[in-house]
Amino acid sequence: MPKVIFRLFFTFVVFVGIFILIQRALTPDSFGDFGHYRANSMNDNKVRASFYKGEAKCTECHQDAFDLKETDVHSGVRCESCHPPQIDATTDCKVNPPIVKGTIEFCAQCHATNPGRLKKGVPQLDFKEHYEKQNCIECHNPHAPWELKEK
Amino acid sequence: MGTERKVNNRRKFFQTSAALVGGTLLYSLIKPFEALVQDKAEEPKIAKADLPLWGMGVDVEKCVGCGKCAEACKIENMVPKEPFYFRTWVEQYTVKNDGEVKIESPNGGIGGLTQSVPDEDIFKSFMVPKLCNHCTKAPCVQACPVGATFISPEGVVLVDETYCIGCSYCIQACPYGARFMNPITKVADKCTFCYHRIAEGLQPACVEVCPTNARIFGDLRDKKSDLVAFLQENPTQVLKPHLNTHSRVFYNGLSSEVR
Repeated sequence: MPKVIFRLFFTFVVFVGIFILIQRALTPDSFGDFGHYRANSMNDNKVRASFYKGEAKCTECHQDAFDLKETDVHSGVRCESCHPPQIDATTDCKVNPPIVKGTIEFCAQCHATNPGRLKKGVPQLDFKEHYEKQNCIECHNPHAPWELKEK
Repeated sequence: MGTERKVNNRRKFFQTSAALVGGTLLYSLIKPFEALVQDKAEEPKIAKADLPLWGMGVDVEKCVGCGKCAEACKIENMVPKEPFYFRTWVEQYTVKNDGEVKIESPNGGIGGLTQSVPDEDIFKSFMVPKLCNHCTKAPCVQACPVGATFISPEGVVLVDETYCIGCSYCIQACPYGARFMNPITKVADKCTFCYHRIAEGLQPACVEVCPTNARIFGDLRDKKSDLVAFLQENPTQVLKPHLNTHSRVFYNGLSSEVR
């Protein structure tokens, strides 16, 4: 083999080798295991505590409130719809208890009159007409809305 | 002499070519054993058919536009509170008597949607929850130059936060406007079907809080799941079917006005 060709071939091999080494060094672990992405990223997305705990966790302590809710029209509504966790709450709901909302504005989120809600079976009210100054939960038990309290 | 040189050259050419091709083949044979040399633990390959294929059904006929899903999503996923960062949001569509369509979503529907059009002008009004459609052929994944966004084997479109370079090509590519640039992490952010929750067996936060069960989450491969039952029971549609994205969020009762 002529010297020129050998040198050319040798440099080519060296450059390809260097390229492969650099590529190896720069490609992160697990890249390309399932496709053109870092497979470990799925674990990165997974490892995080959930703030919303789910109804099963609530009923560990509050079975009574849950049972009462299931007897009335709010039966389909999950606990955390009305009792959302605090922002950035730790995993333990006893340290950072969920928020108890009980304002007219909060009830109005679902029950204020809106033409888009007409046929959906959710009672709608004009909150200005229906006891403007009084809070809803003073008469209605939010867990069982048709159990009206005596005034 | 001329012919001899030609023959010699040809012979050498064939020899080199054979050596190169043989070398490549040999390398490809050796490659599977490289893991042994590098002491990499061989991980068992996961068969795709054993994994769930997540999808969501949205019943437009049940949505009352209370905005609890958008609110819960922000709490659960630590999305900035400003009214232009949403992983999911609710839009109110109002078709007026003159045929004009008004779409509004103040603060993504958080705090409950209110109708701004007077009653006598309204022909039809309804709410549509929106989120990432988790496309089977996702335009955002095709657009990403570094492989930082991808479709996981469970069919969830995810973002690799450590790998994203923040070029926002995916945000432009998404036909549903479901992505945004997170101002805190400075990378693309989007709905993950609450990947950390579904891995634990919980429902996504928006599904968990929906008071009318307008959102149904489940496994498309499990024929007994609520989602499959929902798809069999209702004539469902996907958003923007002409774009061929084959999305996995199915809408029931979708009007033609919805974009």
